[in-house]
Amino acid sequence: MSRHPTSSLAVCVWIPLFPLRCEEARHEGLAVVPTALLAPDATRRLWQVSSLARHTGVKPGMTVSQAIGLCSRLRLLEPDPVHYDEQFTQLLSALGEVSPVVEAAELGLSYVGVDGLQGIYGEPEKVIEAIRQAVRPSDRQTVRLGWGVGKFTAWVAASRAKPSEAIVVPAGQERNFLASQPIAVLPLDADTHRRLRQLGIRTLGALATLPHAAITAQFGTPGSRLWQLAAGCVSEPVEGRIAPEPIVAALSFFTPVGEQELLVHALDQLIARALKAPRRIGWRVHALRLRAVLEGGGSWLTAHLLKEPTADAARIAAPLKMRLEQAPPAGGVERLVLEFTAFAPGTSELQLFARDAQAAARAGQQRALQSAAREIRMRVKRSVLYHIIEVQPWSRLPERRYALIDYEP
Amino acid sequence: MVPPARTPLRTDRLRAVNEPRQVTVEVDGSGAPTAVGRLGDLAVGRVESVNESWRIDDEWWRQAITRLYYEVMLEGGKRVVLFQDLITGSWFIQQP
Repeated sequence: MSRHPTSSLAVCVWIPLFPLRCEEARHEGLAVVPTALLAPDATRRLWQVSSLARHTGVKPGMTVSQAIGLCSRLRLLEPDPVHYDEQFTQLLSALGEVSPVVEAAELGLSYVGVDGLQGIYGEPEKVIEAIRQAVRPSDRQTVRLGWGVGKFTAWVAASRAKPSEAIVVPAGQERNFLASQPIAVLPLDADTHRRLRQLGIRTLGALATLPHAAITAQFGTPGSRLWQLAAGCVSEPVEGRIAPEPIVAALSFFTPVGEQELLVHALDQLIARALKAPRRIGWRVHALRLRAVLEGGGSWLTAHLLKEPTADAARIAAPLKMRLEQAPPAGGVERLVLEFTAFAPGTSELQLFARDAQAAARAGQQRALQSAAREIRMRVKRSVLYHIIEVQPWSRLPERRYALIDYEP
Repeated sequence: MVPPARTPLRTDRLRAVNEPRQVTVEVDGSGAPTAVGRLGDLAVGRVESVNESWRIDDEWWRQAITRLYYEVMLEGGKRVVLFQDLITGSWFIQQP
């Protein structure tokens, strides 16, 4: 298996409230009114809140009625996670033009490995400018950039930078830079944050001056990690991603579907189809996502990284079904799309090997079938071979139950 | 690395199966079919008996679909399913 490309020198590219920025980019005039995005789950609480809305007292996590009570002009938006994901993918792709080592951390937050880029672009400021140019114009006023050795230093620098600006932490200056930063930049839970403040620890420098063993004794292994970060002892490199070759299976419904059991049925169909894809043979599915286009233009998305990569349909389906059960799409589903986005090679799972061995044995038949299908297509100049697939087998309208799809072995 | 696919999966090209086809139908006083007009190579002829009838009302929240189905036996023993679209009044033949 090929190793991930890495870079010790990192630039953190942070666009705060990325989903909200995506909405502002596509809806003119949204930036000048108080705006809030609803959570993508079923809670119907606020997820992200614009600064104008914050000034009126509206905060993430509030219910809609609480928010409207505080700000009657509040513009509420349904989330469109598929759009945000696409926009973020575009950003990663544009950053990939600057550096081959790009790591996505979360929506709107990514790291660019810049080892060796000074030989191409020159000074760090010029490398940063090249990265800034990769960001879409509407985000250049809000993007914050941080340069440093290791992802943590780069992240802290970006989090302290003003919008559209960058902070460069020269190599060797990490400890000095980190020492004056507030402990809030650490990946802390609320309880640990409160306890540290009760102990009078306000900055990373104050934390790093305490004995490592004492912090570990108080806060356990997570505390040890916090101390190492604060002391600048941790320098995690940027890990580039290997571009996946996703397998996609999609189903468009004749009419929007809202019933959970019907969506689960459709999901099983999609998983079965995606697992049959020839390029899946010999590989186990590691990462997958399920997205839905909703009636009226909204969307729904869930992505999962399987703890144990697998080629077993039931194990692939389990997290998706749980999500469908706990936080189903907010409206009727017009189109359901399943994507296998990352794979792991086949392992010692005997069952899997057996399955793949059978698949390999079928490969000969498959080649013969391909050849025959090609010949038919050449003769009649069009595709005349189809699979019959179930679309809405529960429908009372006979023409909605099954559909034909081009058969391309 | 995952090997590139030989051909992309074409999952979008769905074609409906068993779409209803319009036919001419003669009816009796109660509106039940008595004869079915010719449609390509589909079996047609006089209706010997109506085995069953049922009504479907669906998608009233979008564009209402209201059909009155008849499963009939034609002369010669062939069984076909017909329905009348109660909104337009047109008749269709469809595989059950």
